Amino acid sequence: MIGRWFNERAKLSELWRSQMVDYKVPKNLTFPYAFGIMALVAFLIQIISGIFLVMYYQPNIHTAFDSANYTIMKEVPFMWLIRNIHAAGANFFLAVVYLHIFTGIYYNAYKKPRELTWIVGFFIYFVLLMTALSGYLLPWGQLSYWGMVVTTEIPTSIDSAPIIGKLKIGETISIWMKGGYELGQITLGRFFGLHIWLLPLILLGLVAFHFYLIRAHGITSPDGREIDKKKEGVPFHPYITLKEGAYLMGYLAVFFFFVFFYMKHFLPADNYDPADPFKTPAHIAPEWYLLAFYTMFRSIPDKFLGFVVFNLALILLLILPFLDFSPLRSARNRPLFFVMFLVLVISSMALTILGTMPPTPTNALLGLIFTLGFLSFFISMPIISILEWRWYKAKGGSRND
Amino acid sequence: MIKTIFFTVLTVAFFYIVWINNIFAPHEKYEMPPEHKKIAMDYKYAKEGRELFIQNCASCHSVRYDALYLTQVQANPMLASLQEKYGKVLPRDVYEAVFMNELNALKEAFGKVPPDLSTIYLVKGPEYLYNFILEPQKVLPGTTMPPVMTGRPEETAKIIAYLRSVSEPPPEEKAKRNIMGVVTIGYFIVMGILIWLWRDRILKKMGLH
Amino acid sequence: MEASRRDLLGVAVGGLGVLGAIGALYPIVKVLSPSQASLAGAKVEVDVSQIPDLQVRVVSWKGKPVFVVKLPQDFQWNGKRVNGQNTKLLQGQDAYALVAVCTHLGCVPLWKPQGEGEFNYPVFHCPCHGGFYSPWGDNIAGPPPRPLYVPPQKREGNKLVIGEEGFVKELT
Repeated sequence: MIGRWFNERAKLSELWRSQMVDYKVPKNLTFPYAFGIMALVAFLIQIISGIFLVMYYQPNIHTAFDSANYTIMKEVPFMWLIRNIHAAGANFFLAVVYLHIFTGIYYNAYKKPRELTWIVGFFIYFVLLMTALSGYLLPWGQLSYWGMVVTTEIPTSIDSAPIIGKLKIGETISIWMKGGYELGQITLGRFFGLHIWLLPLILLGLVAFHFYLIRAHGITSPDGREIDKKKEGVPFHPYITLKEGAYLMGYLAVFFFFVFFYMKHFLPADNYDPADPFKTPAHIAPEWYLLAFYTMFRSIPDKFLGFVVFNLALILLLILPFLDFSPLRSARNRPLFFVMFLVLVISSMALTILGTMPPTPTNALLGLIFTLGFLSFFISMPIISILEWRWYKAKGGSRND
Repeated sequence: MIKTIFFTVLTVAFFYIVWINNIFAPHEKYEMPPEHKKIAMDYKYAKEGRELFIQNCASCHSVRYDALYLTQVQANPMLASLQEKYGKVLPRDVYEAVFMNELNALKEAFGKVPPDLSTIYLVKGPEYLYNFILEPQKVLPGTTMPPVMTGRPEETAKIIAYLRSVSEPPPEEKAKRNIMGVVTIGYFIVMGILIWLWRDRILKKMGLH
Repeated sequence: MEASRRDLLGVAVGGLGVLGAIGALYPIVKVLSPSQASLAGAKVEVDVSQIPDLQVRVVSWKGKPVFVVKLPQDFQWNGKRVNGQNTKLLQGQDAYALVAVCTHLGCVPLWKPQGEGEFNYPVFHCPCHGGFYSPWGDNIAGPPPRPLYVPPQKREGNKLVIGEEGFVKELT
């Protein structure tokens, strides 16, 4: 009754029908297509759990640790659950975003006319990394503190460059990030503000734009063809909504398994040690989601070159739609691309795992090899594109297809 | 099909290594005799462990989350009025400011203020603590922690049981959380299956599939 | 639409969905509810033997300021309203509590044992708009429309327990 009153005035069922039922998508979407919606749900979970954490967390260097580990974990009923959700959620969010990125690469979802979707997606990824980094500082444990010390030291590698190094730009950036010579209340205050509202708001805007672009162009088919929506499409609801809804339930089941029974990696032991500016922990390294870049940085003997390489990795990721200008779409149809995709995946995983291992000469060499492996994917794209153009033209294809 | 299986296995293996058990980067393991491990993991020794802690450790270490302060601080009449104002667990900056003299005295004696042990169980684990308390120099050469529990491994285990009770919830609460977890996970599995079946029915009715 | 298994499944999904939403709501409500510590503030004990005669101590009860008044053994008061509502209620007590919030507009009155203004005997005087109360909190002059509130309280030896039913059963 109330539903009908509201519906007559908000026209919700018409909105639903036009956006969800009349919207047609390919029939053969595979499981990895669900990673996008899982990322959105993961984002929502972070926002909701974050809303409650902000009620009890105190962004003051003397009381931050106790607010997180006493007030939140032990005093307020059920806040331990919300903190577990937020900590595990951050890791799951990034895991799902990585899986979503690799899915997009595999199916060439970044090709015309979806290059902008990819670019916006890249910035979502980047802002998400900033959000994760700023959030990790907040509990003010040993890993929080020293992890941020290392992060704010990275810009100083610019100062190892020949000539421009003399300008000490890196040191200036580092001091500017921290708000002083050392990590203190000013640093915590600004990262708190960034983490709880500015970065999430930017993320929301980027995600909204990302969704708009997806809807504007429709969903790519796993075999690269653009479908004839009228003839071969299936209605988004209930075909995709319920399918991905069921997958989401599976995702949440796995997620809550970790939340209730296995938080060891997401609330690492060393971070239960309050931050001590005079005592560096024995093993300090970034979280797993940054380890690949960390290994790239570590494996190259020259600091400045290492800095350049891991920034290069990010830039190459951003411009992938322009590096891969082949007329063919989807790894299903491109054996060369498939091989290089394997190289990319294996290199990324190896780089991440190497980041957890001590920096022995062997590991440094392996790091270098897999860094080259990672970069080779992007470098090979123009070459493969040219080869595939030749093959395509020989089969009678043209630039106007 | 092969590709699906391959990528699924690769992904699962990767996250297993990174999140659950990193076989490439093992952490140091410490040994603890099983009979003493049993004591340390038994909640009922926590009360006795607290008494032992007060006798042996509280002259240098506080356990703020249990409102257990240094012996010198417990004797200070200011503590009671502070607790009336701030609650049993004093904020850290208030505590460190008011009892600066007591803490500084410890710093003079040991080079640094002996750390508060409220979360030490979560940081180090029972095996490390057992070895460290009984033989500090062996585990951390050069440490200023004196070997106060030499020859008393069973009592050390009880102290660890106490520290565990401060860091971890009591068994009844743990049991409640486990049940909550099982119900939540079960709920999502059931929902997932139901939604899948429901979708099947709807699609069959619509003539799609 | 025939009554098919699809409908049963739909109902099952919807029903479980509602259950799930309620299940998620329970911890949220618990997280937002007042803590044990703050609820413990509902009872305050004051050792009245420590208060000198004709003096007033201020304590906090349920977030409000409260006067604890100590009267000498043979206290005589020459002022108006000897038969006021509070005077009757607090008859014979040498120590009692009054909510220290002026019933006019909420300021905290001041205890004037030497008197104030036209009154040369002990009174409460509210500086904001000139309200006056007797030592038992009955309003005797100025804008206050009613006496000061009296919290539930009881006496246990030297202890005045504010917040528990005793010679005053409930907040007036």
